[in-house]
Amino acid sequence: MNKYKNIIIIESSSIIYEGLANILMKISQKYQLTQAGSLEEANRLLIKKRYDIVIVNPLFIFNNIKSFNEIKCQYSSIKWVGLIYSYFDLKLLSLFDGTISISDSHEAIFSFFSKLNSNENQQDQVSSQEILSEREIDVLKLLAKGMANKEIASRLNISTNTVITHRKNISIKTGIKSISGLTIYAVVQKLVSIENLSD
Amino acid sequence: MNQTVNFQLSSDIKLSDCITINPYLLLLLEHFDIGFPLHDKSIKIICDENHLNCELFLIFANLYNGHQYIPKTPLSYNDTQAIINYLKKSHNYYSEEIYPNILITINQMAELNNFKEMALVPKFFIKYFNEVIEHFDYENNVVFPYILELNEHIKAKTQNEKKSKYSVLEYKEHHNDIEEKLNDLKNLLIKYLPQKNDQSIRRKLLLLLSELEYDLNIHSKIEDFILIPLVAQMESRK
Repeated sequence: MNKYKNIIIIESSSIIYEGLANILMKISQKYQLTQAGSLEEANRLLIKKRYDIVIVNPLFIFNNIKSFNEIKCQYSSIKWVGLIYSYFDLKLLSLFDGTISISDSHEAIFSFFSKLNSNENQQDQVSSQEILSEREIDVLKLLAKGMANKEIASRLNISTNTVITHRKNISIKTGIKSISGLTIYAVVQKLVSIENLSD
Repeated sequence: MNQTVNFQLSSDIKLSDCITINPYLLLLLEHFDIGFPLHDKSIKIICDENHLNCELFLIFANLYNGHQYIPKTPLSYNDTQAIINYLKKSHNYYSEEIYPNILITINQMAELNNFKEMALVPKFFIKYFNEVIEHFDYENNVVFPYILELNEHIKAKTQNEKKSKYSVLEYKEHHNDIEEKLNDLKNLLIKYLPQKNDQSIRRKLLLLLSELEYDLNIHSKIEDFILIPLVAQMESRK
């Protein structure tokens, strides 16, 4: 269900970059990696596209802590991961959301990234196995009858944004995103009868 | 099926060995017009015989194996022709082969399982199939000719006045829906639709859907991360 994860690796050694890239590609086919040779180059990449994770060799921020913090504040949704292969001050390492070391095993890196991703999806995971709320069922019934968000909002006396939020939660809980898919779901769950469907 | 085959391909490996290890590469051969028998020839030799850029082949083949391969020499604008030929062939495989096969299987399933709600599934799929065809037609008839024309203009060092307002980035959003509805269908079949006489046909259907999903995922990676960036570079040259 997740889309691609865009990752920047700030690292000048191509041996290390390609080694790490290979390990990451084994973890997930959904990772898309970009190499940057410096913090400035990474910053230019960040302006152009949305990235999810930036992996940094701390050497690149050692003398640049101020600009690193500025970039970090600017892109608060990004996870910043330190890539450690020599001794660094703990204070410097505390700037990261997490660190991996070049002596880590595949398994350690694997479990690090799955934890990193699960933090991010915590909300999704909590709700993914719950049944739909009464309000969500109301929204789903009207959706299945072919109503648009706006119509649903005025029928249920809620804002269009609330309808959108309900729809998002319905999709997370059921694993079904399209309206035509949700319609079949609603019929199977006996929330609407086939006769009441619009075509 | 979606398990990645754990080894990286390089130009000196025998292509026949690669296929034995990961049979999904068979589709890659077909889309690149590489025929049997392969004998004991290396990837490099087979690419040369087929006038194919070996680095391009290795990028694609490694995608099938779940690796990100960094080419020794970057792709050039002239590779767009080979990429487009590949994508067109793969469109053809989707629309002439796997989607029709899936539709046949869905109809068989709906016949065996006569629950009322089951009748909605073929309907859902036919509608979805039409959307997919529409998307492929758009790429075949609008996007690909635009790219090839752009390449011709760069080669001839002329300006492309006519369509300079169009940008390839516009079409990037298009194919997300294709994978989304496929996933919806899988979830409906696995989690929600009641079963009646249809266990084995539903298994066949789910395997077909997973096979399609695996290939579509690679297909959109080729478009998003190989073709579009290359064309964006071409556009910025103008």
